[in-house]
Amino acid sequence: MYTKLAWRNIWRNKRRSFITIGSITFAVLLACVMRSMQLGSYDRMIENTARFYTGYIQIHKAGYWQEKIIDNSFNWDSALLSQVESTKGVHTAVPRVESFALASFENKTKGGMVLGISPEREHELTLLKDKMVEGEYLLEDDEGAIVSQGLAKYLKLGLGDTLVLIGQGYHGANAAGLFVVKGIAKFPIPEQNNQSIFISLKKAQWFYALPDQITSLSIVVDKAKHVDRILVDLNSKLDTQYLEIMGWKELMPDLVQAIEIDNISGRIMLWILYAVIGFGMFGTFMMMTAERMYEFGVMMSIGMKRLKMQVTVFLEMLMMTSIGVLAGISISLPLLIYYYFNPIFMSGESADAIEQFGIEAAYFFSMDPSLFYNQAWAIFFMAFVLGFYPLYVIQHLKPVQAMREA
Amino acid sequence: MMKCILSVFLLALSTLTYGQEAIDIIRKADDKFKGKSNTSEMKMTIVRPDWKREITMKGWALGNDYSIILVTAPARDKGQAFLKRENEMWNWQPTIDRVIKLPPSMMLQSWMGSDFTNDDLVKESSIVNDYSHQLEADSTINGMEVFKIVLTPKPEAAVVWGKIVTFIDKEEYNQHLVYYYDEDDYLVNTMVMSDLKIMGGKLLPGKLEMIPADEPNNRTVIEYLDMEFDVDVTDKFFSLQNTKRVR
Repeated sequence: MYTKLAWRNIWRNKRRSFITIGSITFAVLLACVMRSMQLGSYDRMIENTARFYTGYIQIHKAGYWQEKIIDNSFNWDSALLSQVESTKGVHTAVPRVESFALASFENKTKGGMVLGISPEREHELTLLKDKMVEGEYLLEDDEGAIVSQGLAKYLKLGLGDTLVLIGQGYHGANAAGLFVVKGIAKFPIPEQNNQSIFISLKKAQWFYALPDQITSLSIVVDKAKHVDRILVDLNSKLDTQYLEIMGWKELMPDLVQAIEIDNISGRIMLWILYAVIGFGMFGTFMMMTAERMYEFGVMMSIGMKRLKMQVTVFLEMLMMTSIGVLAGISISLPLLIYYYFNPIFMSGESADAIEQFGIEAAYFFSMDPSLFYNQAWAIFFMAFVLGFYPLYVIQHLKPVQAMREA
Repeated sequence: MMKCILSVFLLALSTLTYGQEAIDIIRKADDKFKGKSNTSEMKMTIVRPDWKREITMKGWALGNDYSIILVTAPARDKGQAFLKRENEMWNWQPTIDRVIKLPPSMMLQSWMGSDFTNDDLVKESSIVNDYSHQLEADSTINGMEVFKIVLTPKPEAAVVWGKIVTFIDKEEYNQHLVYYYDEDDYLVNTMVMSDLKIMGGKLLPGKLEMIPADEPNNRTVIEYLDMEFDVDVTDKFFSLQNTKRVR
């Protein structure tokens, strides 16, 4: 009975109802898009660094993270590999030997980051093959080197030239070697582009006099959200006295903090948006109540109970809000799905300016379901609270005065 | 009063004569170990708690100013050589076909990852000329009568240590134990010499052990496999060209 009454009331004045529903729809749409863009960019930032550089999980010798020197490397054998790779959710384990060395060609010398990699496994993590701009990719046990574009430019080095590397190896051993440049790779992050040198794992172990050891083992996971469970699994499987197992949150505390700060500012923006939307909704509710003063007065004079009227009006509110929220989500959903698969890439000068900061110049969108129901709940809750205004008005309504004033 | 002045005078005299004696002892020990020139074959073992490495090498030296050290094993470092001429030092790296001049700032850094510094190796500073020597009360080490001599660097000397305490036996004039202190008087390194054997016609310690004070589990052991003294080398031998050639 009440629902039917409420439903009919809504459609009695279509224009008024559409304005109310519309304000809610746009509120939900705006909040969803804003939030989706924000969360999407966080995911992308995490992915760019975790997925394409450090890996979501890394294993080192205990103490390596405090003191990142070649002496803190650990034994790497097939037993450890199978132990790690047999863990559920682990896609690939990517071994690396990472240390600094001086890179020199003819009269130029520059500090470089030497990465000893297992070429095929490395590609699984960083898609290094796709970053090649010249020459060929490394083979397993290759003798040559891939030099990053910025470094090659600085050293005036081309394909086939011989790069000299001088550094310090395991426990102070002398590290010096010649490497023929086999390829040149380009990276979006300037820091990486100006100092990276890739050589095969075997060659790096020889260069640094490391007996079958590596400095880090990055893990490619099937799904990023399983990282915490995999961490627990690995911690119970491996010798944590000897090894340390770190998730991306520990590996990149600066990124996590930057995201947290940005997230807080995002939340504040969202609350301001909610306040604006809330007052807008309050406006339409007030207008609706004022418009219907005469109607309420008449209803009450002919013997309608206040409570019954309140219930009917409240149901109207709920219905309109529901319609608005559903409409908002159903409009934003296809929009976000489209942009989720087709991110907005910026180009030209603005893109260059953004890339200077080491950030990719693009907008990414998130499709996290919590995004939608969080907005829905927030708007719904607001409508619910604001809905008490007409109830309050009805409670204190004096029929004669109401009819006369209207 | 007279007695007092006399005793002060005597005391001063005694330290003077003692001081004279101290430098003689040091000079004698230094000359014995180095000769005018020498060649040597050594094996160096670097010991760390969970790891160790052996390096064998050959050395040529002329007086205090010239020396060459050539690494003969392991294979990956073979042929690498260090040349010292007066105050300068070069490193020849055959794998990359380059000579690297070691700047003075690197003199205090570890030599090939050992507990010896580049400075220890080239002995840029001389225990005879760069220090003033003070003879202290005699003591015994392993039943041997030894002189205890404290070396303090001369003000103008470019040396690394704040103080060196060395123990030299009275019969053979070999050093047996050396303590190296920094300028704040903290013990930095302890060097223990042992395994006396006859090399090049002299009784000399065949084993040197360097133990850093802050990491007692680390040590570097040098064993002398062979030594020859007063060999026929001139300063022309100690050239960069020859450093690349020596075998």
